Amino acid sequence: MGSNPRTVPAPMIVEDWDQLTFRVNREAYRSAEIFTRERGWVWTHTWLYLGHETEIPNPNDFKVRTLGGRPLIFCRDTAGEVHAFLNSCPHRGTVLCRESEGSTRLFQCFYHAWTFRNNGDLAAIPDADAYESSDEFKASMGLRSVPRLEIHEGYVFVAFDPDVPPLLEHLGDAADYMTMIEQQHVGGMTTLPGTQQYSVRGNWKLAVENAMDGYHFAPTHNTFVGYLRESGFAVTDDNQYAYNLGNGHGLLVLTGHGGRISMLWEPRFGEDERVRTEQHRAEMTQRLGEKRAHYVADESHILFVFPNLLLFDIEGLSIRQLEPVAPDQTDVRAWQLVPRDEDPAARALRMKTVVSFVGPGGLATPDDIEAYEAVQRGIQATAGTAAPELDYSDMSRGMADEVKGAQGRSTDEGAMRGFWRHWVDAVGIDDGLAVHGERPTTFLEGRDVR
Amino acid sequence: MTAITGTHSVHCGGRTITRPEVEDFLYSEADILDRWDYDGWLALFEPGARYEIPTTDYRPGWSPHETGSFVDDDWDLILARVKRLKSRKAHAENPHSRTHRLVSNVRLSEHTEDSFRVAASFVVHRARDGRFDAYVGWYEHVLVPTGDGLRFRLRRSILGHESLAAGARLSFIL
Repeated sequence: MGSNPRTVPAPMIVEDWDQLTFRVNREAYRSAEIFTRERGWVWTHTWLYLGHETEIPNPNDFKVRTLGGRPLIFCRDTAGEVHAFLNSCPHRGTVLCRESEGSTRLFQCFYHAWTFRNNGDLAAIPDADAYESSDEFKASMGLRSVPRLEIHEGYVFVAFDPDVPPLLEHLGDAADYMTMIEQQHVGGMTTLPGTQQYSVRGNWKLAVENAMDGYHFAPTHNTFVGYLRESGFAVTDDNQYAYNLGNGHGLLVLTGHGGRISMLWEPRFGEDERVRTEQHRAEMTQRLGEKRAHYVADESHILFVFPNLLLFDIEGLSIRQLEPVAPDQTDVRAWQLVPRDEDPAARALRMKTVVSFVGPGGLATPDDIEAYEAVQRGIQATAGTAAPELDYSDMSRGMADEVKGAQGRSTDEGAMRGFWRHWVDAVGIDDGLAVHGERPTTFLEGRDVR
Repeated sequence: MTAITGTHSVHCGGRTITRPEVEDFLYSEADILDRWDYDGWLALFEPGARYEIPTTDYRPGWSPHETGSFVDDDWDLILARVKRLKSRKAHAENPHSRTHRLVSNVRLSEHTEDSFRVAASFVVHRARDGRFDAYVGWYEHVLVPTGDGLRFRLRRSILGHESLAAGARLSFIL
């Protein structure tokens, strides 16, 4: 950082294996310098989730989307190839596509009418003869693609750094949980129109913590738990685990927070759905084998893929994408992922059920948002205090079990610790992590689900 | 076209319903919601009614059964929502937001034997946590005349926003 005065106090994270405490410096949630570092390091040098292939199913379909603050065009060209272009005219930088979605073979800049094909090639420059060596000039003026784009099971990831490792290497154990979603139905999955787009007055990492945090479920979602109980579902915290999947990815395995449409029946889904679920489960067992079908069908999963993708494989399936806007503001986009060719009655039940829980109008997500917006306001209390050692948030829960090598429970904070250890490397802060005592040589990661 | 004069009244359920009657119904509802009288609000619905808020990218013709949405409540979920909002454990609305609603541009249309449609514009101002948000949009309701007055069969709020602004979650009734 050269001669810039250091305003971020070290350390950002303190792990103490004698005291069994894990603490995160609250500057991580409110510092403008940290936010700038995240944009420059994490959001520039890491694979980022852009969108799902089924959002642009047909040749010439496009969506525009901002990722790490960069406006992008996410499109399928006339030949069917998926692209991500910087949404900026190579000529003078104008935002090229000002629609949010649509279908087009050509993108034309309104400013000087430069026109591009949806594979990125320059199609036309008005009065091109005014440019010296026009052909060479034109060849240099294609749309700027993102340096890397790879697709796993329909999930499209991009990187602004050409030197990132292959996507599957980055995803590691998270990749298979994405495959498990695709395997749920023989015809595969597709996103639906109707995107929940909202913004939260909180740091993006609070949204990650909230998703990886089973501890908050009962107190925060008291009213939703009550609704589940009244509709005949016995809510429990038994046999629920948190996994650190490495590379900052995390997984909650939940079995007691509600049924799963077409996977795990509960009374509020009704008798017709019970029959459909039994039939579907028999088909899955035949297709995937008993063990794999068990992991795919009987557990709910909340998967976090570092840094901006959350997959809620719970009652139904929601894809949630995080876009940090400021240290204290995060834009969220959420899509519903559904089986292709689903029975209309099952689809209607699925949409009602999913929406009743997730999203800013549901019976549960608003309380999550309230929680991390309240954290964002509350952490100002210890900012710049005379006792800087108090300016930390505690994530020690379950460390004693971690030392013993016991699998972390979903109500513990092990998945968050995995996230923060990776984050502190990813933002490149020297001396960001302080370790006291003897750290376990390995942390439990992943499990055999095949 | 008779559309302009047609917004003054509709014939439905064996009688004529006028725009002032519908306006009074919507103004009363706004007042009930702003006073946080959720039992009073529930009494404005016929059993089996629905409450919907599509997403901000909504296009006319989309069905909540086939698309993502913000709210897709059948009758059971309306009851669960009201019960939740009356609980002090509805943390997102405890303490309650302070809201102030304006309803305007009321138009009546498309009556059937026992129901008719109402379109209206709304602005809901909301104060909470030292912030002041505004929600704007359109209502597309289906109302039913009963012996006890008008009742909602479908209550749908369609947002005019491109996305929900920071902090502007739908934790109360829009």
